[in-house]
Amino acid sequence: MKAYWQLTLSQLRIFLRNRQVLFWTLAFPIFLMIMLGSFLGDGNGVSVSIGVVDQDQTTLSKEFSKTLGKIETVNLEPIDSKEKALAQVKKGNLQLVVVIPQGYENQMMDAATTTPFELPIYYNETDVAVSQIGMTIVNSVVDGISKEKANYTPVIVTHANGIEALDLKYIDFLVPGILAMMIMSNNMNGVAGQIAAWRERGILRRMQGTTLKASTFIAAQITARLLLNGMQALIVLGVAHLIYGTQVNGSWLSLITFVILGTLAFMAIGFIIAGVAKTPESAGPIAGFLSFPMLFLGGVFFPIRDMPAFLQPIVNVLPISHLSHALRETMNVGTSFMDLGSEALILGGWLVGAFIVASYTFKWE
Amino acid sequence: MRNQTETMIEIKNLVKKYGSFTAVNGIGFSVNKGEIFGLLGPNGAGKSTTLEMMVGLRKPDTGSAIIGGFDIAKDLLKVKEVIGIQLQSTTLFELLTVEEILKLYASFYQKNVLIPELIEDMVLTEKTKSRVKTLSGGQKQRLAIALALVHDPWILFLDEPTTGLDPQARRTLWDIVLKLKEKGKTTVLTTHYMDEAQVLCDRIAIMDQGNLIALDTPSGLIKSLESDSAVEFQYEGNLLTQELEQLDGVKQVGKHKDTYVLYTDNLQETLITLIQFTSEKQIQLTNLQTRTSTLEDVFIHMTGRSLREE
Repeated sequence: MKAYWQLTLSQLRIFLRNRQVLFWTLAFPIFLMIMLGSFLGDGNGVSVSIGVVDQDQTTLSKEFSKTLGKIETVNLEPIDSKEKALAQVKKGNLQLVVVIPQGYENQMMDAATTTPFELPIYYNETDVAVSQIGMTIVNSVVDGISKEKANYTPVIVTHANGIEALDLKYIDFLVPGILAMMIMSNNMNGVAGQIAAWRERGILRRMQGTTLKASTFIAAQITARLLLNGMQALIVLGVAHLIYGTQVNGSWLSLITFVILGTLAFMAIGFIIAGVAKTPESAGPIAGFLSFPMLFLGGVFFPIRDMPAFLQPIVNVLPISHLSHALRETMNVGTSFMDLGSEALILGGWLVGAFIVASYTFKWE
Repeated sequence: MRNQTETMIEIKNLVKKYGSFTAVNGIGFSVNKGEIFGLLGPNGAGKSTTLEMMVGLRKPDTGSAIIGGFDIAKDLLKVKEVIGIQLQSTTLFELLTVEEILKLYASFYQKNVLIPELIEDMVLTEKTKSRVKTLSGGQKQRLAIALALVHDPWILFLDEPTTGLDPQARRTLWDIVLKLKEKGKTTVLTTHYMDEAQVLCDRIAIMDQGNLIALDTPSGLIKSLESDSAVEFQYEGNLLTQELEQLDGVKQVGKHKDTYVLYTDNLQETLITLIQFTSEKQIQLTNLQTRTSTLEDVFIHMTGRSLREE
């Protein structure tokens, strides 16, 4: 027991005195979070930039522009010539251009005409999704005007009620992902590198010459890393809260449980790598080989549902997918631990499996 | 705890093979309580492998070792309680202080000595609060020995404790080892310095290519040469060793590069005939000197090679 505490304490001292490692293991996730969060943070609302070329310049045509401009998601830009407007569409600055040809007011005033007046709309085909939204908006405006003209009384109407269940932005998606990434790289890469280096330098060998048990050594190693990871996770959460107001909607207990589960699972994988790697130089690349794809496939930065179908089965067995999903559900939605049982089970499975393999591959020298 | 036996170490027929290479080839000896026992030999002679088998870090292919009355094959944990080891090329946790790392290692054992006293004995008091990475080579080596002593072991194993140290640091270390002997500790050390073995060791086992080729006290080993003096000179040409062996009193001729050594039990006669021989042949000798035989000469005598081959 004395050895366990002393080893834990020593390991924490080594961590805290290794300023550079301490700084970069924290600076990297925070930097990444701020970078991605600032560039992609407000990706939620859709806005459509619509250019209006008013060739009629009459009261009615101006009224049309005004109605269109009142719609919340529309950025209206009056442009004086059609050519200029089309050039803007090609550049991607405008998604849609509505041209109000000359004679618009005249035709509207002339109640006798039966042929409808045509408003040409030009849209950018490469950005179909947004253009479609723009078309719908313009159509609804046009529809409203014609109904008014025809003195049409609707029989049935929809009443739209926006429900703001969760105010989720990209940053809310990102922070749990960053947390998962940190847990993975600090533990898997950290354990693999450190143990391999200690073995190479004979530190483990010297300890093997004492009455110290391997289990005590490993237990202390795990404890120290759990404490350190807990601290780092809290710091990252704190920074995210201060800068972006990120919240933890679920229970802290279940969040902490998943942090611990993830830490243990990735540490066990780190022990396997340390056992397999012949030199500390090879431990780094092996850990990198495993962690790099996990960063991109594991739902850290992008939702897993956006991945190609053939990758989905692979992605769904990765421990990082379940860790990031569980952290995200807990933080964003506030899902209870019970509802994340399968996540916990899969992570637990990785943990147990990896520790069994690690106990066979672990070598003091 | 059981009584310490007179015989602290008893090893028999230790063999260690790496593939087709035999690192240690059937070594056996015993070490008494309070003795400083030296394993002397050139690099690659199997000294470290022998030592590591004795402390349980390597498993011997065959043979047995009883350390402090415990069999390393059956009671390794008990063996570890009564031995302290300092390994060659061990690095320590660089970011911990001297005191912290001693406390850490002390926690691995049931029994401990007082750490401030231990630090003082190892001449490290000034460095108590310093981090390991700021220590000099000699200080690091003394710290390594302190780590071997935290649990007050009966037997100390030191693997090349002075390799790479400056003369001053080596002497400090020798003093420490001799003081430990006064306290009744048994020490087994490996070295490839003859002077070190001669100063420190009560008995020396000379190893070469995995074999034990001689085992005696330092003076006993030198006596076995049957020639108490050596004549050494340099000559940048080829002399026939056969002709040199013909000189009066010469027992053996050693040659390493352009240095020749004549071993003799009659220094005066050998010198006279050597001078006659060289003046007849018009040979110009340089650096002619005489000295008493050393352990190095014993080694050359036994193997035909120098201890430290450059």
